[in-house]
Amino acid sequence: MTAGLIPDETRAMIGQLLSEPVTGVVTAAAAQRFALAADDRNPLYFDEAAAQSAGYRTTLIPPVFLAWSLNPPRPLADVRTDGLYRGEGKRVTLNVKRVMFGGEDWEFLAPLYAGDTYTSETRLKSLEEKTGGSGDFVLQMTETTYTNQDGIVVARATGRSIAR
Amino acid sequence: MTGQRCLEDVAVGDALEPMTKTASRAQLFLFSAATNNPHRIHYDREYAAVEGHPDVLVHGPLQGAWLSQYVADWAGPRGRVLALSWQNRARAFPERELTFSGSVTAIEGDIVSLEIRETDDTGAVLMPATARVQLPHRAGGKP
Repeated sequence: MTAGLIPDETRAMIGQLLSEPVTGVVTAAAAQRFALAADDRNPLYFDEAAAQSAGYRTTLIPPVFLAWSLNPPRPLADVRTDGLYRGEGKRVTLNVKRVMFGGEDWEFLAPLYAGDTYTSETRLKSLEEKTGGSGDFVLQMTETTYTNQDGIVVARATGRSIAR
Repeated sequence: MTGQRCLEDVAVGDALEPMTKTASRAQLFLFSAATNNPHRIHYDREYAAVEGHPDVLVHGPLQGAWLSQYVADWAGPRGRVLALSWQNRARAFPERELTFSGSVTAIEGDIVSLEIRETDDTGAVLMPATARVQLPHRAGGKP
């Protein structure tokens, strides 16, 4: 057992929601702005007829845009010195100096249509203490579930962070 | 992508045609704007140095978006991307060519597994990734 990188009260948060669920409409315009910023001109995101001839009801959104599409607008007063917005919701407090983003795992379970209403819920999925070459660290996983207006889970994303 | 890739076109071991991306600073700004991400490491070089970076950084999620594009373009309009997974292993910088390449690692039923990597202009692997894609059969298929 390492020297307790995970406080008991933080461990007790595993499985809990980290913030209130967020619901919003993802417009085709916002999805297209994201696609163009990535220089992705997939007709399924831009051309109704192309989407329909591929069997879809209407245009799709770039799937990883879901992660950004529901973020509510924030006032300038919430911007920290490093430019990031001040955290909202529950803090996952660990006895570490820094947290590095490690990667993401996405599952796409149903078509992601532009104009649909999506709800995201983010939970603390797991915290694991590990020992690596450069010392002890915590592998933190958060899971976000995306549900559409019909109650269908359309996507699930797990984010991995390394805290040391 | 023109036409539709079908299961019959694919075999284990096939290489995907590489895709290259070189982000301009303007593109980084536009991606920050499109994701409402004001983190200064993506547009303020002086501030990026404070966090220990020699230049501004390409967003991890932009590289994730490129991975998604690479896989969706390979799959074609009637292919379905079922899963994407990536590891952000090293920093990517603007005005440097980044290359996505990959291969088919498994085919089970109509589900194709891909292994993908993003490398920089020194050959370093910045982002190893995997994907699962459902492809239609040549005869027709559904989305």
